[in-house]
Amino acid sequence: MSERSGRPVVVNLLVLGLIGGSAALVWVVPRSILAFMLFQASLVVVYYAPLSFRAKMAYAALGLGLLMPVLGTHNGYYMEVAIQVGIFVALALGLNIVVGLAGLLDLGYVAFYAVGAYLWAVFGSPQAGKFISATFVTFPLAPGWFFVFLVLGIAVAAVTGVLLGLPVLRLRGDYLAIVTLGFGEVIRVLANNLDKPWNITNGPKGITPIERPPLFFEPALRAVGIEASPFTLYPLYFYFLILGIVVVVILVNQRLEHSHVGRAWEAIREDEVAAQAMGVPLVRMKLLAFAAGASFAGIMGVMFSAKQLFINPESFTFLESIGVLAMVILGGMGSIPGAIIGASVVTILNLQVLKGISLWLNDLRNAGIEIFGYNLANLPSQFEPAKYERMVFGIILILMMIYRPEGIIPARRRRLERFDRGHEERPAP
Amino acid sequence: MSAILLEARRVTKRFGGLVAVNAVDFTLEEGVIASIIGPNGAGKTTLFNVFTGIYHPEDGDVLVQGRSVIELTPDRITALGVCRTFQNIRLFKNMTVLENALVGMHTRVQLRLWDVLARTPTFGREEGQAVRRALDLLDVVGLRGQEDALARNLPYGDQRRLEIARALAASPKVLLLDEPTAGMTQGEAQSLMGFLRRLIREFGLTILLIEHNMRVVMEVSDRVTVLDYGEKIAEGRPAEVQRNPRVIEAYLGRGRATGQAAVP
Amino acid sequence: MDWQLVFAILPQVVMDGLVLGFMYALIALGYTMVYGVLELINFAHSEIFMVGAFVGVEVLLLLKAGGILDPLNPFLILILIVLAGMAVSGILAVVVERVAYRPLRGAPRLIPLISAIGVSFFLQDAVRLGVSLWRNAFYLTYPSFAVFNKRIELGETVDFSVKSILVVAASLLMLFALQFLVTRTKLGKAIRAVAEDQPTASLMGINVNRMISLTFLIGGAMGGAAGVLFGVQYNTINPFTGFIPGIKAFTAAVLGGIGNIPGAMVGGLVLGLLEAFAASYLSLFTGGAFGAEYKDIFAFSILILILIFRPRGLLGEVVRERA
Repeated sequence: MSERSGRPVVVNLLVLGLIGGSAALVWVVPRSILAFMLFQASLVVVYYAPLSFRAKMAYAALGLGLLMPVLGTHNGYYMEVAIQVGIFVALALGLNIVVGLAGLLDLGYVAFYAVGAYLWAVFGSPQAGKFISATFVTFPLAPGWFFVFLVLGIAVAAVTGVLLGLPVLRLRGDYLAIVTLGFGEVIRVLANNLDKPWNITNGPKGITPIERPPLFFEPALRAVGIEASPFTLYPLYFYFLILGIVVVVILVNQRLEHSHVGRAWEAIREDEVAAQAMGVPLVRMKLLAFAAGASFAGIMGVMFSAKQLFINPESFTFLESIGVLAMVILGGMGSIPGAIIGASVVTILNLQVLKGISLWLNDLRNAGIEIFGYNLANLPSQFEPAKYERMVFGIILILMMIYRPEGIIPARRRRLERFDRGHEERPAP
Repeated sequence: MSAILLEARRVTKRFGGLVAVNAVDFTLEEGVIASIIGPNGAGKTTLFNVFTGIYHPEDGDVLVQGRSVIELTPDRITALGVCRTFQNIRLFKNMTVLENALVGMHTRVQLRLWDVLARTPTFGREEGQAVRRALDLLDVVGLRGQEDALARNLPYGDQRRLEIARALAASPKVLLLDEPTAGMTQGEAQSLMGFLRRLIREFGLTILLIEHNMRVVMEVSDRVTVLDYGEKIAEGRPAEVQRNPRVIEAYLGRGRATGQAAVP
Repeated sequence: MDWQLVFAILPQVVMDGLVLGFMYALIALGYTMVYGVLELINFAHSEIFMVGAFVGVEVLLLLKAGGILDPLNPFLILILIVLAGMAVSGILAVVVERVAYRPLRGAPRLIPLISAIGVSFFLQDAVRLGVSLWRNAFYLTYPSFAVFNKRIELGETVDFSVKSILVVAASLLMLFALQFLVTRTKLGKAIRAVAEDQPTASLMGINVNRMISLTFLIGGAMGGAAGVLFGVQYNTINPFTGFIPGIKAFTAAVLGGIGNIPGAMVGGLVLGLLEAFAASYLSLFTGGAFGAEYKDIFAFSILILILIFRPRGLLGEVVRERA
């Protein structure tokens, strides 16, 4: 470290300046999407910067734990973006286990998300009362049950994962993909149609109002002198809940990957016949992969329900499954930082960039600007860039497969990088 | 009388109309190096696949230490002490050398999911032991120092050795090697054979080879079994089998066997 | 259980099933031919089908705007739009192969599949973009023709429209033409050779790339024709109409035996009939609990069951993994 004595100080100052400066910029110009993207980019810089692990954690805590929530209260839309990114990061990490580590192309991943979401939606709203008689229990359940259901969401989704996995165990890669696609569609059709003979999901009308977790910390806040309405508190509440869950998901992912379980999954992905011949129990490992991946989606589903207050089958279509797949592929299959980056980039692309283009286009339209003699006011009203997620996903998938199938942050390089840099302990293989 | 570790009784494997292995009997005693030879297509690898559970035989039985295994999946058979290498190297190409060896140890790792998730002290101990043992095995096959190389970047000879290390990691009692000297020079093949003998002494292994390299087979085997068109046509000590007219005929054609010179 | 009702509507159900089935068969051909030569599930084929439908409606709307739609013979128009759909879809399929699949030849199987999914999604929004800009709407309706909608009666309870017959007739014609091409011509033999064993075929002097492009052209053309017929039969189309029929047609291809051309035809018919039966009888047999809305799940369930219990389908060959 002696040859780098001057460097850390400079790097630290630069990173601090970048994060602080971009945050200040966002505070001053809250409507500028570019400023917010700069702030987000500064957090990515922390990952790549030549700093110690502890320093990186400190900056991440500063950026995500303090600055982001503050900026989020200043402009509620950014809070929403951050929450969505958090949800999709967890989903991408879950799919990363199934697709990236174990090599099982699951095209129906959204089904587990839906299961978690409907689990809380049904019991955390009057819906359950429509098919369960009110003799012992009335619905909705008390809001505190939300936390129980977070755990329940994990369990139910994991069981669903095993149920899905059982019949597809022996299927070859592309057939497995199609069957999982079918399962995803089955769940969607079920959600759409299970309003008779018993009304479980309320069909296409969806379920509302859904309970939110109680603001149990409100008295504590008031004692300290902070008066805040639920309107400001709830987004922060959800943000920190999701942040916490994401941290746990990342930890679980890492621990699974760097163990005999992770190695078994990768062996299955590489050559499952050889893996089995070396003693890897295929059935158990594949089911474990499905269950683990599903459980992340399940807990996020419960969270999603409580945050949205209203869900319907339209949120759980093939488009969402492919969206998460695009995130994993963009970031890097089998790579944890890859999944995080992929989820962030794609979500931001959809929520900010496309929307920004839409708004910008509308401004141009209203101003009657002309391009090449074509008056933009004549642009058809049906043309709404914000809705073109399919094109974004499609282009991502095609280009990544042709030009960089290993993703932005490939799984393998990261491991070797850490080892090469020398000041890390040799990682457990 | 040594224990019989691996036994095949009238094993028959059919693929549609083709009978790949026809009512073959086979026994393997403890501590022995045995070889299975025969022309291409004789059913040798198919027999290996039946032994290791990759194929289910239409008829007959396979016993490992007296216990029938034909209904078991390959991973269960490996847990019982039978492990193998493959004719076309089937390493985990995008994993490192060390990781390949560690996968072989999957059955021996005694960890519950909780240990993995909570990183209990048991986890640290088991993982540490596994890594140490894997490194020792890499040492034995001469790959120490290359632990972090990707398997697909290794030269051919090293890949073969890694496959053996991986199979050894499963702590087998019986090691099945499918054409281990394929693609090697005579010198390399000799050194591999010396290495196999060492393995038997150090690890108490029993080895069954499929081989085409006759010098190796004759030098190293205690017993040779010959297959042709799925049937066992000869069995015995190397020298006996070498002189067996049916064996010569299977390899070289009928004329040679009866002593006539080949038609010019 | 009202058995009299069951039998009364049976002929109608069969007719519906056949119409559906032939359409699935046409689309399934595209999937099965591509899988035969490349072992790839051409996810984008459902959009090739959808593009055909849009080509049909565009031609019709253009003719209508030009005032020449009404005087022309409807049957002639039908042939025109089917040919137009076949041409555009076929060429599009060739372009897709060239751009999104050829660079990935030789990559592990999942990579081109993911690329195919990407193409599928891209085409959906690309068509939406184009049609939105051009017509400020993306749900389009086929102009209808009185003579096509005329219904022919066969007995008391059965009637079907002229267009149903046209769809069946057109499909039959194309299926026979394809079967002839594949089994009786040199070109067809070359395609089959490439499907059987690519390296050997190329050693025999067959230009493998060209044969693959030809396969996409033919499969795409079949899909495009199916698209036009779909539009004629069901009237409204949008950029996402390809998705569900695509999956069902793929199910049909697998049901018949993927890679097997007569199999795709058989599979399509069987699936069409099964689906028609499900749509009509499901609510009768379940006392109203589960109705026609579940017919999609029905198709998916068939797919899952086949892949688990008889992956080679009805007419396919057993494929084995060699260790």
